[in-house]
Amino acid sequence: MPAILVLDDSATMVMSLSRVLKNAGYEVETAGNGKEGMTKLAAGLKPSVILTDLNMPQMDGIAFIKEARKNASTRFTPIIVLTTESGGQKRDEARVAGASAWLTKPTEPNELLSTLKQLLPK
Amino acid sequence: MQFTSGSSENHVCAVLAAQVAELRDRIDGGAAVELLWRTSDVLSQLSGLVLELAKRCHDSDSGLNEQCKAAIAAEAEIRRSLDSLAFEQAQRNDFTCQTVDCVVTALERLAGGDGPAGNRLSLDDLAALYVSEEQRKVHDAATRRFEVVAASGPNSAESYSREGTGG
Repeated sequence: MPAILVLDDSATMVMSLSRVLKNAGYEVETAGNGKEGMTKLAAGLKPSVILTDLNMPQMDGIAFIKEARKNASTRFTPIIVLTTESGGQKRDEARVAGASAWLTKPTEPNELLSTLKQLLPK
Repeated sequence: MQFTSGSSENHVCAVLAAQVAELRDRIDGGAAVELLWRTSDVLSQLSGLVLELAKRCHDSDSGLNEQCKAAIAAEAEIRRSLDSLAFEQAQRNDFTCQTVDCVVTALERLAGGDGPAGNRLSLDDLAALYVSEEQRKVHDAATRRFEVVAASGPNSAESYSREGTGG
């Protein structure tokens, strides 16, 4: 069962994403910000895909993606950005940092699951 | 309303920031979302019971068995819709919270600023706090209206102000 690491500072969003992903058969690990996410990766978590918000306290999504790309175990792990931010500049920043896909909230569960499926290692 | 001192204005901004921050916590609590999840979970449990009933009456009552199967199928469809609705609502709450955060930050800066009133937060400073295109669109539309009002002279500005705050 593929594991997904979900990063979002909204507890309701984390719960909501977890439900959608678990109902679809994924294992879910969560973190409230980029720093917490990096701590989990450093502790040995090896997610198949990472799903991250952009605007988070302590370490935002862009900084997290940059750090994750420096980490040998997540250098090539697909990272999906799921955010309210829809500006082209942020999108470019995320792409340059190493994001694999971008979804703007509100998105539908099917769109999220379809994007995940496309990015999961075959 | 006209403020007589900078200090009073700072306090008003600080109190407003606290009020709006309180509102944010209530939104993020997501009571409606939790209710949708609970409803979905209860439906799932009921579906399990109906499935058990269908198994038990499989041979003795084929009519009831068919009704149970139809109810289970309908429940699955409704549960998918509820989960989808909860997911969308959670995202909308998230967006609302981010807009509220922006207002709180702006008010806190206005409350804590040492400079003279009018110089603590510019429109560009405010725009830098936005996290979504929707916020920027609202900002642009609002500033365009200010420009129209300013170009029309002080009398028009007064008339616009009354329009904007009325009702």
